[in-house]
Amino acid sequence: MPADVSLGLTLVVSEITVLFRRLRTWAMIGALALIPILIAVVVRVSSDGSASGRGPAFLDSITQNGLFVSLTALTVAIPLFLPLTIGVVAGDTIAGEANLGTLRYLLVAPAGRVRLLLVKYAGAALFCFVATLTVVVTGAIIGALLFPVGPVTLLSGDTVGIVGYFGRLLLLALYVTVSLLGLSAIGLFISTLTTIPVGAMAATAALAAVSQILGALPQLEWLHPWLFTNYWLGFGDLLRQPIVWNSFADNALLQSGYIAVFGALAYGRFSTKDILS
Amino acid sequence: MNKNWRWLPAGIVPVVIVTAAVSGSAVAEAQPQLPAKTAQELLEFVATSTDDAYSGTVEQSSDLGLPDISMATPPGRTSSSDPTSTALELLTADHTAQVYVDGTEKARVQVLDQLAQRDVVINGNDAWYYDSESNEATHAALPDKDAVKADLEAKLQEKAAEHPELLNLPRTPAEVAEVFLARIDPSTEVQVEGTSRVAGRSAYELVLTPEDDATLIGSISVSVDSETGVPLNVTVLAKGQEEAAFSAGFSAVDFSTPDADVFAFTPPAGATVTEAPTADEVKAELEAKQDLARTPAEAPQQPTVIGEGWSTIVELPAGTAAGLGLDAAAGNAAGMGDIMEIKPGMDPEEVAGAQALLEQALTDVDGGKALQTSLVSVLVTDDGRILAGAVGVDQLVAASRQ
Amino acid sequence: MIAGVPAESAQAVRTPPVSAREFAIETRGLTKVFGRQRAVDGVDLAVPRGTVFGFLGPNGSGKTTTIRMLLGLAAATSGEIRLLDGAMPKDTRSVLPRVGALVEGPAIYPFLSGRANLQRFDAADRHTSPATRNARVDAALERVGLGHAAKKRAHAYSLGMKQRLGIANALLAPRDLLILDEPTNGLDPQGTREVRNLIRSLSDDGTTIFVSSHLLAEVEQMCTMIAVMSAGRLVAQGTLDELRSAGTARVRITTPDHADAHHVLAGLGLVPEIHGRDDVITAELSVPGLQPETVNAALVRADVRVRGFEASGASLEDRFVALTGEGFDVAG
Repeated sequence: MPADVSLGLTLVVSEITVLFRRLRTWAMIGALALIPILIAVVVRVSSDGSASGRGPAFLDSITQNGLFVSLTALTVAIPLFLPLTIGVVAGDTIAGEANLGTLRYLLVAPAGRVRLLLVKYAGAALFCFVATLTVVVTGAIIGALLFPVGPVTLLSGDTVGIVGYFGRLLLLALYVTVSLLGLSAIGLFISTLTTIPVGAMAATAALAAVSQILGALPQLEWLHPWLFTNYWLGFGDLLRQPIVWNSFADNALLQSGYIAVFGALAYGRFSTKDILS
Repeated sequence: MNKNWRWLPAGIVPVVIVTAAVSGSAVAEAQPQLPAKTAQELLEFVATSTDDAYSGTVEQSSDLGLPDISMATPPGRTSSSDPTSTALELLTADHTAQVYVDGTEKARVQVLDQLAQRDVVINGNDAWYYDSESNEATHAALPDKDAVKADLEAKLQEKAAEHPELLNLPRTPAEVAEVFLARIDPSTEVQVEGTSRVAGRSAYELVLTPEDDATLIGSISVSVDSETGVPLNVTVLAKGQEEAAFSAGFSAVDFSTPDADVFAFTPPAGATVTEAPTADEVKAELEAKQDLARTPAEAPQQPTVIGEGWSTIVELPAGTAAGLGLDAAAGNAAGMGDIMEIKPGMDPEEVAGAQALLEQALTDVDGGKALQTSLVSVLVTDDGRILAGAVGVDQLVAASRQ
Repeated sequence: MIAGVPAESAQAVRTPPVSAREFAIETRGLTKVFGRQRAVDGVDLAVPRGTVFGFLGPNGSGKTTTIRMLLGLAAATSGEIRLLDGAMPKDTRSVLPRVGALVEGPAIYPFLSGRANLQRFDAADRHTSPATRNARVDAALERVGLGHAAKKRAHAYSLGMKQRLGIANALLAPRDLLILDEPTNGLDPQGTREVRNLIRSLSDDGTTIFVSSHLLAEVEQMCTMIAVMSAGRLVAQGTLDELRSAGTARVRITTPDHADAHHVLAGLGLVPEIHGRDDVITAELSVPGLQPETVNAALVRADVRVRGFEASGASLEDRFVALTGEGFDVAG
């Protein structure tokens, strides 16, 4: 019996390895990378120089500065594609292992139920970041390939250099990642309820849609600050000069509330659950 | 084996969050203890408030009983290319603005829209208006600092025809308060009603109650910062309503001099930059326009003011409505297409949506069409006059017949 | 005939002593209720250290549920569990690293190689050393004969290979106790022999091995002690000899005078049966204290011409049919 008890970080490494050795994970990352590529190519091919003022935010700016492809792609990806992929990863966390039967071997190892939940959540959170970064980085690369690049005009009309812009893009990726952490916690909880991963994935993605629909109804305005999707498009505040940190802070607080509530629910469920699969 | 305690956190966490949220707002609502001030002392305090360098976040919200225009436009997007819907949007939706003020020479107001922003920057002799969505910048050269304010007002007036949203831009709570405090007359009851906390600061609550049956305004509360005398929040209640019809106030404020960089504005490359005419040019142009519009039979007509105090009605002469593209008679048969100015490049769906909402908002009254909100009424008479005031439509109709 | 009544088997069930140190597994009144069904009902297991212990019972008799509770995967409705030196599930973290398990068949990540699968499970145990991981994984793979397929994706594994991988997982670290649920499932006769040898050699190293099976023959060949489950209850527990001797012996008589023989046997209070051929009579020695030699003497006294006389102890199969009311698949 080895006397040294490691911190158990090897399980995190193992979790990440397993996640990113799956073809499915790469298929989703590929699909996300396709969003900015598609946008950039379509704009390039159909570019007639006239800004129509329609379509997603920043679309008109792309022809002048390719770096805007990242922002347009993010605006498109946030409401649907990102929550969908996060739903798949977060919904799969526990239910996927239960479905394979590997959950019982992890627990017998023993991984520890709380530790396994934390590790699974860490994996999902990392995926949120990788997914967001995929959209941002692919957007910047394809934008630079197809369009001229240069100093970027912020929403406030101020201009930042490319280096400053990449700093902001990184912040932006961080913002979007934080935005998705609440959804990941919800997915983790739903995943502890079932041994059918597809069900947990669908339920998680559906909740993201429901929350956004509720957020669009003015009659439910009192509810809006409590919806986990409330600040999803608030990343624009990082593109102002000076940066408005309010939505970052409010978003972080809201998401940590969701993490606390659904983390506690997931703990309650998973630590008392009979593993019968 | 009872493992139910493991569910305990799931029960406790929501309770903690709700408690924190409730007690947080309870702290915010707790009334601080401040030395007593009479209404008169407080008014003087406001008048002599000196702290003129600050920055903060201003939240403006309106509940005027108008249909919400934001439902007619795609989410996440306001159409600033369309002045009518922008004006409606500013009236009906909530806004957040970042405000930076350093004396009278430097100011920046940033209206924060989702993924868009509108900026007004005043820095010494330069004034800028920038709209991120259309990527258009307007520059105005201000002759000298004494004339800054008058000049900007003139420019805003001039630009109003093209950009009504300029007039509707939320300003600082202090400016809003100024508007109302200027209207205090003998018919107004002025009281200090305790204290409150606004943006983490303790404030006096100054309440103005018009004792005028005709006006729609129920009362106006001004929260005055207890240290600086700067109005931090203004809330207007319509008669018979419990929810504020309009409010503008700081959600965060910092009474330290903002960074000078904030006021430095250079229009971004690729932006359309328009040079606004100077005040003198504007004056000349306006006079020329009036000369042209004036038919020999008509004497030059000025807006007339009917009544006084809170129930003042402003009447714009015949022809104004047509000049602004508003024509009640045309609106009847041809639909609202004539009422709104349709510009090329506007989204047809948006136009249709805004028209439908405008149609919904306007009601037929005896002798014209009227727009009734909880605070303000506007009447467009069949002969093209426009009457407006903080009174009911009935009063406007009555005034139109005098 | 009433089969499997606890009273009958009581003599074979060893009541576990109070001191638990000599047992690797010990349960008291272990019960699991699903809804209205009592899947496991008051089970008192006592598995002495160092034994190869067979856990026998038909499918659905509660074996796997019992094992899940032993390993802390499912919570017991009532009862106590001691595993090695700790109580389950309270001491999961200190006990389970010393226990290797194969529960209800192997489970794999199909998109990982066999080696990566084991590395994953090994990483889940924070007591194992990452430095020795690769060496231990390779050793375990070699031990179950999967060294050649270590890099192959597990979804390409045959049923038998998956089973070997599952056993290798149980052997990743030195264990004090192995809990193997149906370890020879899916294996060909050669594989079955290998697993049997593996278990024997592990046992020689001092590891306690708890093997569950529905195959009597398998248990009989590997185990020194067994416990029998039936419909959620533990109906017998003890050494193989104890269980055999608890059964009823039989006599088998070959004689041309079967009518006389029948008469003599009936006179002794037995119930003779005449089988296929007319000249064979068998009878269970169901009368307490009646020995085969007494039967023989009685036949001689009655001048029954005996061509063959055979006395046999009870076969385990008969014994288990009696205990569980079900037949066993002996052809494993």
